[in-house]
Formats: sequence, C-alpha cells, structure tokens
Amino acid sequence: MFLGLVFVIAAALCVFVAYPLLSTQDDGKAVLPVDMTPAADLKRRRMVVYDNMRDLEFERQAKKIGETDYQALRESYRAEAARLMAASQELERGSAEDRFIENQVAARRARVKAAAPANYACKKCGFNNPVPVKYCGNCGSPLPKA
Amino acid sequence: MNQAGSVGLIAAMAFAIYAVVAGVAGGKLRSVRITRSAGRATLAFFVMVTLAVVSLETLIFSNDFHNAYVATHSNRALPFYYKFAVMWGGQGGSLLFWTWLLSIYAAIAVLLNRRKNRQLMPYAISFMMGVGVFFSVVTFFGANPFKELALAAGGTTTPFTPPDGNGLNPALQYPAMMIHPVMLYLGYVGMAIPFAFGMAALVTKQLGDNWIRVTRRWTMVPWMFLGFGILLGGHWAYDVLGWGGYWMWDPVENASLLPWLAGTAFLHSVMVQERRGMLKVWNVVLVILTFFLAILGDFLTRSGIVQSVHAFAQSGIGDYFIVFLSIVVLFSATLLFLRLDFLKSENRLDSVVSRESGFLFNNWILLALVFAVLWGTVFPIISKAVEHKTITVGPPFFNKVAVPMGLMLLFLTGAGPLLAWRKTSFDSLKRNFTVPLVIGGLVGGVLFLAGVRNLYSWMSLFLGSFVAACVLGEFYKGARTRQRGSGENFLQAIYNLTARNTRRYGGYIVHIGIVLIFVGFAGLPFKTHAKGLMQEGDVLRSGPYLLRCDWLTSGDTPDYTYREATLSVLKDGKAFTTLTPQRRFYKASQQPISHVAIHQSLAEDLYVVLAGRDQGTGKDVIEVFVNPLVDWVWIGGAIMVLGTLLALIPSRAEREMAQIRQVQWEMLEEKNAL
Repeated sequence: MFLGLVFVIAAALCVFVAYPLLSTQDDGKAVLPVDMTPAADLKRRRMVVYDNMRDLEFERQAKKIGETDYQALRESYRAEAARLMAASQELERGSAEDRFIENQVAARRARVKAAAPANYACKKCGFNNPVPVKYCGNCGSPLPKA
Repeated sequence: MNQAGSVGLIAAMAFAIYAVVAGVAGGKLRSVRITRSAGRATLAFFVMVTLAVVSLETLIFSNDFHNAYVATHSNRALPFYYKFAVMWGGQGGSLLFWTWLLSIYAAIAVLLNRRKNRQLMPYAISFMMGVGVFFSVVTFFGANPFKELALAAGGTTTPFTPPDGNGLNPALQYPAMMIHPVMLYLGYVGMAIPFAFGMAALVTKQLGDNWIRVTRRWTMVPWMFLGFGILLGGHWAYDVLGWGGYWMWDPVENASLLPWLAGTAFLHSVMVQERRGMLKVWNVVLVILTFFLAILGDFLTRSGIVQSVHAFAQSGIGDYFIVFLSIVVLFSATLLFLRLDFLKSENRLDSVVSRESGFLFNNWILLALVFAVLWGTVFPIISKAVEHKTITVGPPFFNKVAVPMGLMLLFLTGAGPLLAWRKTSFDSLKRNFTVPLVIGGLVGGVLFLAGVRNLYSWMSLFLGSFVAACVLGEFYKGARTRQRGSGENFLQAIYNLTARNTRRYGGYIVHIGIVLIFVGFAGLPFKTHAKGLMQEGDVLRSGPYLLRCDWLTSGDTPDYTYREATLSVLKDGKAFTTLTPQRRFYKASQQPISHVAIHQSLAEDLYVVLAGRDQGTGKDVIEVFVNPLVDWVWIGGAIMVLGTLLALIPSRAEREMAQIRQVQWEMLEEKNAL
C-alpha cells in the first residue's frame, strides 16, 4: 500500500523534474542572466565605501577614533570613492575601443562634410544636402546629377 | 514498509545524481530550463528522502522488529518520546537522518534562490546534490536501516521477527538527547551549503564578495546549531556520564569543535573581504576547511575509528568517507589553485595595529587551534598505523595547547572591535583601551587579593572583565552618540543602534556569551572531589557540605531496575537541600547508568553520583563533586545563541540594499527576456 504510494509519488516527481525541459513556453534561447554587471559591481563597491565613511563619522562622534586617524582614513576613503566614481563614469562613457570607433566615425563625417560641394544644395528650397543625393533631403525635389 | 524505505532511498539517489548532472549542464549551457529542472530534482530528492524517513519512523513506532535496525535500537517498553531518538540512536538511522537534513537545507536554498544568484545556482545545486549522492549511497549501501532479519538454516533463509528489541542505548535515554543530536547534525550538515556556494563561485569565477554575502547567513545558521549542539552535548555529558565535568577532549567532542572553530574563523574573515577586498584566498580555504571538518567529524563519530564515550554507532562505513573526503580535498584544492588569479587582494595590509590584522591574527590562532586539536584527535590513528600501537593523547595535551590560545582569542574578542580599519594610532588606542584595561586591572587586582592564584583562572577573569568592558563600552558609546543626535532616551538609543546594525551588535552579544563561558572555565581548577562508601546513616564531607545518607531504596520499572540514595545535605552546619542520585540498570540493553543529582547555583554546583556498589563491603559508592561557576557556561551559551539569532535578522540598511539588488536583477531578467 505505502510502497505503491512511494512509486506513484516518484513517478509524479519525474514528470515534475522533466517538465521544464519539455515546456515550450520559451524557445530554449533563454540564458541565465549575469549576477553582477561590471557597472553594478562598481556601484556596490562605492556603496561599501560610503558605508565605511558613515561608520567612520559615527566612530568619530563616539570619540572612538583620534583626530589624526580620522583625517587620514577620511582622506583615503574619499580618494577611493572618487576613484570608483571616475571608473563608473568611464564605464558609462564606454571603453577605449568604443571611443576609438566613435572618433573614426566623427572624423569621416567631418571629411564628408568638408568635401560636400555647394551643388548638392537644392535649387528650390536652398537646403545644403551634406552628401550626394538624387532628391533633396528637405523638400524632395530632384537634384541634377553630379 | 522496508521496501518502501529502500525504494524511497534509491529514487532519492537517482534524483540527486540527475541534479548533479543537470546542474553542471545548466551552468555550462547557461540554460534556464535545465537549471530549473535541476532545482526541481533537488526538491524531489527532499520528498523521496522524507518518504524514507516516514517509513523508518513508522517501523519504529509500530514496533516492527522484523526490521533489523528497529530490533537493535528499540524495544516495546521504550517511552514513545524516546522512540524519535531511535532514529539517531544507530548507524543507518543517523545517516538517513543526515541525508534528510541535507535535503531540507538544499530544498530551502533552491526555493530562496529561485530569482537570485542565477549564475551560481546551477553549480551550487550540483555541489549540494553531490553531497546528497554521497550520503544516500552511504546510507543505502553502507548501513541500510531497512534490512530485514532472517534466519539462515540448511541453505535456506526464513524471515525472522524477534518478540522484542534490544532497546535504545540507556545513555541516550535522557531529555536533551531528543535535541542534542538534531542540533549537532543540523550544524554539521548545514556546512554543505556555504561550501556549495563557495565552490560554485570558484567554478564561475564570480569571486567578488557576492558569494560571501550569500553564504554568510548560510554559515551562521549551522554555526549556531553546531555551537548549541556542542553545548547541549557538554550538558548531557555533565548530567549523564557522572564524572563531574562537561568536556574531556574526547575525539567525538573534538570532532564537533573543529568545524565550529573553522566556521568561527570564516564568519570573521569574510568581513575583511566585504570591507576591504582582502583575505579572499583565506575565505575560500576556510569555507572548504569547515565543510571538510564537518564531514571528518561525521566520519570520526560514525566509523568507530576512534574510541569515544559518544560513539553510539560503529561499523565499516569508513571507506566511503575516506573516498569522499579525498575527492573533496583533491577537487577543491585543484579548483582553488586554478582560480588563484581571481583571488588577488584588492588592498594591502596598511598596519599591524588595525582591524584587518586583528581578524588575520584571529584566523591564524583559530587555525592553529584547529590543527592542534585535530592532531591530538587523530594521533591515536596515526600511531596505530605507524607503530602498531594506539597512543591516546589525553586532556593534559589539549589543555596545554588550547588554553593559552583560547585566552588569546578571548583577548581579541574585546580588543578586535576597538581597532580602527587600516591603521590605529596610539592616540586612538589610548582612547579605547584605557577604561577597559583599568576595569580589567581592578577586577584582576581584587581577585588576586581574594586569593585567586591559578594563572589561567585569573587570566580568564581578568581578560573576561576587560572584554566585557570593551563590548559594553561599545554599546554605551554608540547609544550616547545616537542620543546626542536624536534626543532618544538611552534604551531607545540602544534599541535603534542594534536594529541599525544587527550584525555588529548581535556579534557583540555573542562575545558577551563567550566571556561568560570563560567565567565558567575559570572555575575548573577549583573543582573538588570526594568519594565514600555509604550505608543508611553514614556521612560524607566535601568542603562546606556534609551529606548524610537517609535512605537507600531499590525499585523496578518496565524499562529498568534502579537503586536510589536519599541524601540530606548540610552547608556550614545548616540544612541546605536533599539530593536523590540514582543508578539504573536497563533490562533490554543490559547496561547500567548513573542518574546524577545536582544542586545548581550560580556560584557552584553540588554534584552527587551513586557510582555503584562496593563488592567487598556491600556498601554504596557515593561520589561528590563541587563545581564552581559551571552554570555560567550554560548561561553564556544561551546568550551566544540569542546574539546569533539577533545577527541573523536583516538590519535596516541591509533590507534596503536587498531591494536595490532585487530591482537590478529584475531589470537584468527583463533585458534577458527581450
């Protein structure tokens, strides 16, 4: 009797365990997310430094720590917080490669702009099209072939 | 029912094996579906082990002596509440119980982390269930509690059911035995969870302080259970074994102390990593060591490899443990070695006089203590292997080594929290240490004048009062500071101070508990012992106490026969109390045991044992111990548990941080779903 129950429960559990594998709710592409992105990690480390600074203030108020120790520690914590903040901003601004690519794009854009002759300007509305086009980017009227 | 239990165990084993494989696959492929399936297998493991446990309990309660385990460890006359204890009264039941507790821990870990730590979880499941595979294999193949009794005669075996069982070991028929093993096992087994997360962090190279934050509570809970279990064990030994003490460096006692010490080091050391990004290798090593020592403890207790007053189950399961322990060591050491590059310290140690170095000293002393106690514990095994004779290392060795280290740790308990992070100047030292040192000095001076000349006792009390002053000073200064800012009254300020940082102030309360335990230790050298042969009307003197034997009676119960002495006690000539020590003889197991009579007080315990009967004179042997300050050990232990519970409550700041993290995770998952 109990033995039968154990078998039934075991079989039910097999279904329970296998169910996520067979489910068609997602198409199998779902991947486990990252626990901690570099940006979140930097932020968290900054939080820890802020925590340390709060503690330090409390210890000073409780007269637990001497003035010289307090000053030295506060300076080092501030420097660390500033360093972490700069790193966060750097990360937001993007990596060195990103910046290199952005610079390349900007340079090319500038070259194109500089090279754009005046005859890309629309005779009808006077808009100066930045690149060679068949139709005016502003009013749509056809432009003569370059 | 026997078959149902076995089927439950086999199915549990299968689910555990599947969870190990699915966990690794889920982690490697970063697949949500496979990981979810692995988590579900962990829950299935719990259900199946639970069914096996239900089967065994049913067998025990229905007095089914056809089952070999029940026939060996239970009997009909056993009171029903002790029938629960039959579960852990023998080998197979204990191992099944371990497996069950592990399955509970693992199931809770899976349920609590459904939406958290998504990268660690698949591997954490694998490691937890790896331990699960081991325990279900040992239970099933090593000491299956579902074996049936059979008689072999003439080449055929016939099922056999004895009319009654052999009964539970009488030493286990004691109220604290209902919870002491449960607490210890919860402590031992629980260490598998922080280990699993630590190893998962190594595998995934996520070695920041995330895994530390995840495991801190998972370490604190078993650490608390283990400490409480050790204490209950001491209390049991004190009440039952009748030698007048609570700790004698017995191998099994040591086995429980070892993971507790390593866990203590881990719980302290993690703070340095969280704050300063240092001691990363230490923390990984400590979490592995704690788990290793927990399994080693189980091995020493269960295999019968060492002689002990606490070894209630012995058989040939040692080989399983040796193989498992070797795998744990090899695997974790290799993984640690491969990940050393990811465990570089983010900061350097600025000064020797700093909180960081305080924690580092703490680590070193605790580790040294672990190795000293470990050495003394396994020395008989080594000596047997090398010289073919068993040399037992006794309490003098342990006391010589452990007492000075314990006192150093006691000092750090108070001094550590007063050191500033990074570096502490002489000025700060003077501010913090003057008052505690003066208070400690005053107490020490008074004690010296009062005639306390035992160095270790004096040191315990001197350092104890120093530490108490340090810790209470922390509460006082903190509350005062809050009051200046908020206008709260003193009690409100204490409350809010503690609620704001439960972890720190809960920890301080644990330190107060440690101080009280050392106060109890300080009484040890002043213990006295007297022994006498008595019959009705005889008197025995011990210190200020005079014991007069009024009656000696014998009696009979279904479970045991007994002899009882009724002794009136006079203290300094005045009537004090009446004590009735017993000596019982259990029928089923044919074993005698003393039931000690104790008169407790905060100053000293009067402890009386009816040790048996003198063959020559026919008189009863009465032993009297006067144990000063013993009760402080139990009080200190209770305060430690309370402090740990307080530290487990999330503080306000922590709850806020948890919310921020939750939002971050949800955003990540949304991004992931797109």
